Amino acid sequence: MASFLGILLMALLAVVQSSVLARFTFLEGTPNLILLACVSWALTGRVVEAMLWGFFGGLFLDLLSGAPFGVSSMALVVAVYLASLTEGRFWEAHPLAPLGVVGIASVVYYGLTLTAVWLAGHPVDPALALTQVILPSTFLNLLLALPASQLAGRVRQAAFPPPVRMG
Amino acid sequence: MSRTSSRALLALTLILIAGGLLILNLGGYLQAAQGLALRPLGGIQGWISQRVLAVRTLLTSPTDLAELTAENQRLQAEVARLEREVIALREQANEAEVLAGLLGYARTRPESRYVAARVIGQDVSPFIRSIWIGQGSDAGVQQGMPVVTERGLVGRVAEVYSTVSRVQLITDPESVVNVRLQTSRGDGVLRARVNGELWVDLIEQGVSVTPGELVLSSGLGGAFPEDIPVGQIVTVRKRDYELFQQAVVQASADLDNLEIVLVIANFRPSAPPGAP
Repeated sequence: MASFLGILLMALLAVVQSSVLARFTFLEGTPNLILLACVSWALTGRVVEAMLWGFFGGLFLDLLSGAPFGVSSMALVVAVYLASLTEGRFWEAHPLAPLGVVGIASVVYYGLTLTAVWLAGHPVDPALALTQVILPSTFLNLLLALPASQLAGRVRQAAFPPPVRMG
Repeated sequence: MSRTSSRALLALTLILIAGGLLILNLGGYLQAAQGLALRPLGGIQGWISQRVLAVRTLLTSPTDLAELTAENQRLQAEVARLEREVIALREQANEAEVLAGLLGYARTRPESRYVAARVIGQDVSPFIRSIWIGQGSDAGVQQGMPVVTERGLVGRVAEVYSTVSRVQLITDPESVVNVRLQTSRGDGVLRARVNGELWVDLIEQGVSVTPGELVLSSGLGGAFPEDIPVGQIVTVRKRDYELFQQAVVQASADLDNLEIVLVIANFRPSAPPGAP
């Protein structure tokens, strides 16, 4: 059920990304709502759902993009998998851990999509792409990382409260 | 199987499925499915896009906003209705203004047939500059058709589905437009960088290019009709040791704030999108 609702949410976030966020850019970068949602959900421990969200969210993004279909999907699954590797580490519970995870996931995501776009024959200037797109977008993702992970944590608590042992 | 390795397996499976979809899409087998999926998404996109534009119009009119605030103080009960009315009327006025401009443009070129389309979204990839418009093959839009506003060239249709289409902007790095400089009559090729900056390259050294000069589509190569305004020269870079000179161009159309565009429906391009 959570996976299904999450997939609907991803469709909505993809539309908001295209209709709203694309109009508000910093340099040429925009935050990626689907990346933030998936990574934040993975950090709450619901990794399998987060991966499915990433997979379908990526497909929705690619539907609304000229990038090769399936590429965002791959990049988001990789980003979520990397985020899941933090589970069980001693710094997992650190309040600033989402910043590091979202930062790494963003760079991996944009790096993979840029490579795919380049392989598809789209002219790419790596230096400009880094300074005008990847770094500003990563910065915006970092700005939203803590609120997103807080929100994901609250939703996780509300939807899947930890079991209480009686007696 | 441990939790880590089962997750790795799931990730690998999903990546392989995405890879399979990528290959199917490259073969053109997913076109129908994508069109089907884009029907509801395009509808929602158009609905959200209109609301965002209406709110943005309201927020960027400080005088009227102050008037609305005063109204709010005087007549608290009426304010919600008035705000809705103001938003709707302003949106209609904006739209009428845009349409009047487009109509004026269309009248200057009676030989062309146009399909007006609302811009419903932008490309979600930061590396690609394109927009989504709310008209598709049902309205006669076809791949390669040029897209303009009353101010100038916007781009060309890159992908077409039944109810929506993707338009590759002239600021996309893959876009190439053959252009002519209006006064100096020099020919060149318009390209864009990843940050959307437009450059005219391959202008012969002997041509005397001046800032402010108008850049028009030349029609060479058959990808675009000739004499559509593309932009204005901002600066010229001329080096004696280079074969050609280059110039930075400011686009005529406001490509960051497009609301309604015209697709030139009776132009049959002889080159695929991306080719000059």
